[in-house]
Amino acid sequence: MSVSGPSAPPAAGAIEVRELSKRYGSVGRGVLALDRVTLRIPRGTVFGLLGPNGAGKTTLIKVLTGISDITSGTASVAGFDVQRESLRVRARIGWVAAEVILDDDFSAWENLWLQAKLQGLRDWQERALELLRYFSLADRKDDKVGQYSTGMRKKLEIALALLHQPTVIFMDEPTIGLDVPTRRMLWEIVTGVHREFGVTVLLTTHYIEEADALCERIGIIDQGRIIAEGTPDELKARVKADLIVLETRDGLDVPRLSALPGVQEVRAQGNEWTIRAGSAEAVLPNLLHAVPPEQIRRISVEKPSLETVFLDLTGRRIGGDEPMRDVRRFYMQMRRARG
Amino acid sequence: MRSQFWGLYARELLRTFRNPFVLLITVVQPFMWLAFFGSGFAKYAADLAPYYGTSNYIEFLLPGVLSTSMLTVGMFGSMSTIQDKRFGFMKRILITPTSKGVVFLAKALGSASRGLIQIPVMVAAATVFGVRFGLSPLDWCVWVLGLLFVAIGFCSMFLAITASSTDWQTPGVVSNFITMPLMFSSAALYPSAGFPDWMKAISEVNPISYSASLGRHLLLTGAVEWVAFGYLALFAAVMGTIGYFVSSRWLKVD
Repeated sequence: MSVSGPSAPPAAGAIEVRELSKRYGSVGRGVLALDRVTLRIPRGTVFGLLGPNGAGKTTLIKVLTGISDITSGTASVAGFDVQRESLRVRARIGWVAAEVILDDDFSAWENLWLQAKLQGLRDWQERALELLRYFSLADRKDDKVGQYSTGMRKKLEIALALLHQPTVIFMDEPTIGLDVPTRRMLWEIVTGVHREFGVTVLLTTHYIEEADALCERIGIIDQGRIIAEGTPDELKARVKADLIVLETRDGLDVPRLSALPGVQEVRAQGNEWTIRAGSAEAVLPNLLHAVPPEQIRRISVEKPSLETVFLDLTGRRIGGDEPMRDVRRFYMQMRRARG
Repeated sequence: MRSQFWGLYARELLRTFRNPFVLLITVVQPFMWLAFFGSGFAKYAADLAPYYGTSNYIEFLLPGVLSTSMLTVGMFGSMSTIQDKRFGFMKRILITPTSKGVVFLAKALGSASRGLIQIPVMVAAATVFGVRFGLSPLDWCVWVLGLLFVAIGFCSMFLAITASSTDWQTPGVVSNFITMPLMFSSAALYPSAGFPDWMKAISEVNPISYSASLGRHLLLTGAVEWVAFGYLALFAAVMGTIGYFVSSRWLKVD
C-alpha cells in the first residue's frame, strides 16, 4: 500500500520548532514545562524524544498536536503553524496514546467509522479494510474491542492513526506498561508502519533500548530543554569515554582521582562519583588502589550508550535512581541514629 | 463540521443503547416519581380537582415529571463529557479536525435526544395509571419539541458549568445545586397559584414551569400554549449559544 500525505511546502520539515516555551500557571509561580526548545524533524524520519518522566515530552506533543497553547516561540507541523492553522495540522497528524483509548462498546469497524467521521473522510472503507488486513485484525473487525487483547488494541489504535493518511504520527510513550513480548511486537509494527506508509514518526519514550532500536534520530530532553540531538551513533560518540560510577561511604580526594592516568574528569553528586575514562579497564586497577575498599559501597562501569550520554550530560540516569538513593540514605541515617 | 457532528452524535446514542444500565437509570427515575409520588398523592388530589384541573393526579403530574427529568439528562450529559476527558477520549477527538464547539453541540443534542427515550415509557406507564391521551399528531409534536428544548437548555447549562472540570463529582454537586431549587420552585409537582410571592417570581422564569404548563394544557384542555413553547425555544437557543461559546473557549481536554 503506497500512501502520500496531503500536500505541504516541500522545503518544510515535518516538524519545526523554534524557541518554543510552554509555561503552566503564572510567571514566577508556575512550571516552565518547555524551555526555548528548537527542533527540526525531517520528513520520513522516526524521531525519538528521550527523557525521564516529567522532562516535557508529553507537553511537547500536546503543543504540537494543538491540545495545549504555546507560551512563546513558534511550531509548525506538516508545514502549518500549530496555533494559527490548528485544524489543518490536526487533519494531517495521527496520534497513538500511552494508554489505549478506544470505544470499548464499539467494534473495530465502528471505531474506524467514528475516526473517519472525525477526520471528515468519505471513501474510507477500502483503506480501513486494508489497514485491518495489514494489522491482522480483519477477521475480528465486527467484535467489540473490549474483547481484544492489549496487543490487538494497540494495533487498532495505530490503524486509527493511519486511516486519514497522515504526514506525521505522534506516539506518546506507546509501549509504557506493556509486557516484553507485546513491546517487541509494537517495535516491529512501528518499524513496519514507517517503512510501509512513509510517515514521519515522533515517538516519546523513557526506555533507552526503545529509542536505540527504533529511532533514526533522537532528541534528549531534560527539564524542558533539548540537551542533545543526533543519530544514536552520533550521540554515543559524544561521550567518547567509559563512565565509572562509584558510590562511597565518605568523600574522596578528587584531585588525586583526577590525576590518575586515563581519568578525564571526576564529577560528584553527594557520595556518588562519575569518573570519565578513555578505558575503564585501564583505570580500574589504579582507582581501586586509590580508594580504600571499605569506602566503596557500589561500583559499576558504563560503556558508551544513550544512558551514558544522558548521565554525562545531566549527572542523572533517565530511569531515575533517586528513590533508591533516598532509601539508602534513610537506612544510613537509621544506622547512624542507632549508633 | 457536519461529518464530525454526526459521528459524535451517533456515538452518544449508540453508547446509550449499548449500555442497558444507563438506559435503565434514564427511565426508572421519572417512573419512580410517577408510581410512588403520584400514587401517594392521588387520593388527596381527587378531592382537590378544581385546584389541579383534573381528578387524576398522575395526569397532572406526568408533564411535570417529564420536564424535571430533563434536568437529570443534563447531569448525565455532563458526566459523560467528564468520562471522555478522564479516559482520554476527548484528546482523541480533539486531535482530529474537530472543534470544541462541535463536541459541545454533539454532547448537548445527544444527551437531550437520550432524554426523549423517557417519553414513550412514561406515557405507557401513565396509561396504566388511567391517563387517557386524546392528542393530535401536532399536539404530540409540540409537546415532544417543548421537552427537547428544555433538555437542550439544561444540557447546555450543565456542559457550560462543567466545561473546565475533570472531577467526577462536579456534575452531581452542580445537579444538587440546580435540580432541587428548579424542581420545587416550578409548577411541576403542584400548581404555582399557592406559592409565596418570592417563589412565584422564580416560577415565572423557570423553564420547568413553562414545560410542565405546556404539556398540562395539552393534556387537560387540548390547547397549545404557544407562549410557553416560544419561551422554551428561546431558553434552548440562549443556553445553547452560551454553552457553545463557553465550551469553545474553556472546554478542558484532560
